[in-house]
Amino acid sequence: MPLRRLFAITSILFFVVLAISPLKNALRPYRSIQREYARLGAARAKSQKVAEAYQARPVSIQQIWLPGLQNRVDRCMTCHLGAQDETMAGAPGVYRLHSRSFHTPKDFDRFGCTSCHGGQGLATLEEDAHGMAENAGTPMTPLPFIESGCGRCHLGEQVNGAAILTRGRMLMEKAGCFACHLVKGHEGFRSEAPPLESVALKTGGEALKRWLKDPKGLDGNASMPNFRLSDQDIEALTHFIFNTAPSKALADKVREAGAEKAGDAINGKKIFAEARCISCHTVEGKGNGSAPELSKVASRATQPWMLAYLRDPHAFNPRTRMPQFGFSAADTRDVVAYMVAEFKDFDAPPGMLDPVHVNQTLAEKGQKLFRLLGCTACHAASGEPDRIGPELNRIGDKRAASLDFGKRKDLKHTLPTWLQAKLEDPRSLGTGLKMPVYGLSPTDTQAVVTALLAYGAEPVPAQYQPVPAVRASLVPGGTVGALFDRYRCLSCHQIGDKGGDISTAPLTAEGSKVKKDWVIDYLVMSYTIRPILTDRMPVFRMTKAEATILAEAFETFYLDPSIPEDPFAGQPATSRDPIEGRHIFDTLGCKACHILGEKGGYFGPPLNEAGRRLKPGWTYTWLKGPQKWRADVRCPNYGLTDADALKLTSFLQTQVQKPAALKTAKGGGR
Amino acid sequence: MRPSMLPRLAWGLVLVLGAASGCSRHKEAPAPAAGTPVTPPAEAAVAPAPLEPPLSYELRLGKQVFQHYCLTCHGETGAGDGFNAFNVEPHPRDLGDPAFQKAKVDADLKDTVRRGGVGVGLSSGMPPWGKTLTPDQIDQVVGYLRTLKRTDAPPAS
Repeated sequence: MPLRRLFAITSILFFVVLAISPLKNALRPYRSIQREYARLGAARAKSQKVAEAYQARPVSIQQIWLPGLQNRVDRCMTCHLGAQDETMAGAPGVYRLHSRSFHTPKDFDRFGCTSCHGGQGLATLEEDAHGMAENAGTPMTPLPFIESGCGRCHLGEQVNGAAILTRGRMLMEKAGCFACHLVKGHEGFRSEAPPLESVALKTGGEALKRWLKDPKGLDGNASMPNFRLSDQDIEALTHFIFNTAPSKALADKVREAGAEKAGDAINGKKIFAEARCISCHTVEGKGNGSAPELSKVASRATQPWMLAYLRDPHAFNPRTRMPQFGFSAADTRDVVAYMVAEFKDFDAPPGMLDPVHVNQTLAEKGQKLFRLLGCTACHAASGEPDRIGPELNRIGDKRAASLDFGKRKDLKHTLPTWLQAKLEDPRSLGTGLKMPVYGLSPTDTQAVVTALLAYGAEPVPAQYQPVPAVRASLVPGGTVGALFDRYRCLSCHQIGDKGGDISTAPLTAEGSKVKKDWVIDYLVMSYTIRPILTDRMPVFRMTKAEATILAEAFETFYLDPSIPEDPFAGQPATSRDPIEGRHIFDTLGCKACHILGEKGGYFGPPLNEAGRRLKPGWTYTWLKGPQKWRADVRCPNYGLTDADALKLTSFLQTQVQKPAALKTAKGGGR
Repeated sequence: MRPSMLPRLAWGLVLVLGAASGCSRHKEAPAPAAGTPVTPPAEAAVAPAPLEPPLSYELRLGKQVFQHYCLTCHGETGAGDGFNAFNVEPHPRDLGDPAFQKAKVDADLKDTVRRGGVGVGLSSGMPPWGKTLTPDQIDQVVGYLRTLKRTDAPPAS
C-alpha cells in the first residue's frame, strides 16, 4: 500500500534528520581535542591524583565573558585548553602553553584572547574562529603584527615591551602620515616641510628637478617621499615653484647676504665642529640623521640663502626643528664659506643653482598639479593642511572584502597584506592613486602595518586604558617660552609627554636634578657629559643672561615634588659620612659603568663632577630606584637602604672637579 | 494511523528546526563576498613568511633584555667584548664559551643575574639585576643566553 510505504520512508527520513544534529555535536572537532588534551595532561601529570583529574574532565565549551570589554565572549579556551596550563609547556600545536608576556598568564580573565589576537571569539570551529578564509569578517592578527593588539589599549607613542609597535608609531610621525591622513590624537600635526615661497630663494631649477625626481636618493635623511613624477610634471612643478613670489622681507635677507664678502673657511670648519651640527644633521652619513645630510648641500642651496637661513632659520620656516644659533655675522660667513667649499657634489654639472625662466603656461599647469598631488598637505604656507588621504581612525578593523585590491592578483585578500602592499608600492593597487612611495625596509613596513592595525573601530573603555606614565607637558610663555622657541629645546629634549628623542635627558624635573650654577655654565658652554653619545648638546652661543633666565625657569617650573631639596634634613650625622660612601661606591661596583678619577667604564656619565652638577636630593632619589626616573634606565636598582643611599650621595657631592673642556674654555671637539 | 502522524510530523519539525538553530549559534560566520571562491586555509598563507622571526616569542623578549642591559659589557654575541668592556677590570665573562655554558645550569645563571657578581662571590663588576628585572625577564634573558653558545672552538685571542 503506497501510503504505508510513504509513511515508512518519511519516518526513516525523519529519524535521519533528527540524528544529524546530535551527531554533528558529537563529532565537533573540539570534543576530540579536549579528549586528547585530557590524555596528554594525564600522561604529563606528576601525580596519580592530577592525572585522574585530567581524565575526569567533562568535555564542554569553555568561555571567558567580558561584559566590560566590548562585551566579548571568547571561547578560544574550548580548544586551547593548554594555554593556561603550566603542565602543557612544550606541548605540541593547539595544546601548548601560551608564551609568557606582560599580560599572560596573569591577565587571561581580564582581557580574554581576541582583544589581542583578533578572530571570532564565539566560534568553536577553527576556520570560523581564526577567520582563515579570504575576506573573513573578523580574522586573527597574523603573528608578525601581533603587537597591534597592545596598541588598542596602549595609546601612547612609547609602549614598553612592544618595540615593533613603538617603532611603527615613531615612523608614522616621522614620515608625516598625519599630514594627509586624519588620525585621532594627531589633528594638530604639522609637517616641518619648508613653505613653498622660500624654495625659489634657496635652490636652482636643475637642483629642484633632481630633488623632485627622487628626494631620498639625493638625501637619505629626507622625509619627503617619492611621488614618481614624470619629467613633464617635474618641469611644470618647477615652473610653478619659481613663479611663487617670496615675501619681500625674505628676498631682502637673501639679497643682502649675497652682497657680503666671503668668509674664512678654516675658521668655519672649527665653528661647524664646535657647534655640533651633526647632533641632528649628518655629514657623509655620520651624525644623528634627523635633519638633512650636509655633504652635498652646497649643490642644492645657494650661498646667500645658506647665510641668511643660518642667521634666522625661523623666518624662512617657522616649523623647522633647527634652533637659532647665536653666531656673530662673521662666524656665519665663515661657516657658510666652509660648507660651500667642502659640502658640494663634485660630479654635478655647472648651473645646478641657476634660477628658472618661468613659462606661465607651465606654471599654471604646475599649480594645478601641486594641489592635485596633495603637496599642500605638507608645504602649506599657513592655516589648515589640505588632507587628501582618507582618515585612518578605524583602519585596523576594516574588512578585507571592502578593500580594493585592483590590479594585484598575487595578494591574499586580508587587511595586513593590503596595508603592506599599499606601503611598499601604493600605486600598484590601481591607476590614479596618489599616495607616494616611502621606500620603507621590510621591517619598517611591518612596524607601520602594526601601528595601523592598532587603530580599532571601537575605542577601548577607559578602565582598560593605562594611565600615562609621564606628566603632561608644560611650556611657559613669555620670555622663557621665547627662549625655548629660539633654541628649539623640544626638538631634542622631552618635557612631559612632548618633545624629540635626540636627547636622553628629559627636562621635566631638570630643576630638581641639576644645580643652578652648573646649568648656567653648561648652557653658555656645553660640553660632553656622556662620552659614548654621538648626539651632544650644541653650543648655541647663548648669552649668560639668557642662560640665567632658563636656569631660573628650571628652578621654578620643572620640579618633581617627590625629590627632596635636602635629603639629609632630620637624618643622623652619620648619614653624611663620605668615607663610608666611598666604601659603598667600591663595593657596589659603580666603576663598571662610571669613571671616577681615571678609571672606570664609560657607559654612564663620569662622576668626577657629580657634586658640581647634581643636587643631593636628586642623587639620593636616583640611587633609591633609577627606574622611577625612566623605566628603561640601565643603572640597576641596588635596593639600597636610606642610610646607604645618603652616605653614597654625600660621597658623590664631594666630587667637584671641573671638566677639562671648561678649563680650556673651548667647546667640545667634533 | 493517520491521526497519529500529524503530531509526530509537527514534533519532528520542531526538533529539526531547534537543532538547526542550535547548530548555527556562532553568529557572524565569515561571509565570503558573492563570487569569491573560499580557498581552503593554507598554512603558508596565514602569515607572511619572510617577516616571521626565527626566535620564539620568549627568546625574542630575552634578546630585547640582553640587548638593552647586557650588551654594553658582554657584547652583541656575548663574547665579553661590549664597548664598555675594555676599561673594566676584571673583564666581562665570555658567555658564548661552551665550557662555561656546560658548567652552569640555568639556576646558577639566574642566581648570578639576580644577585650580581658580589652575591655569588665574584667581582662587583656584574651588578645585581634582581630589583631591576622581573623574574620573568630573568628567565627570558637566561633562555636567550643559551642561544649564544658557540658550537665551534672559541677563537684564539
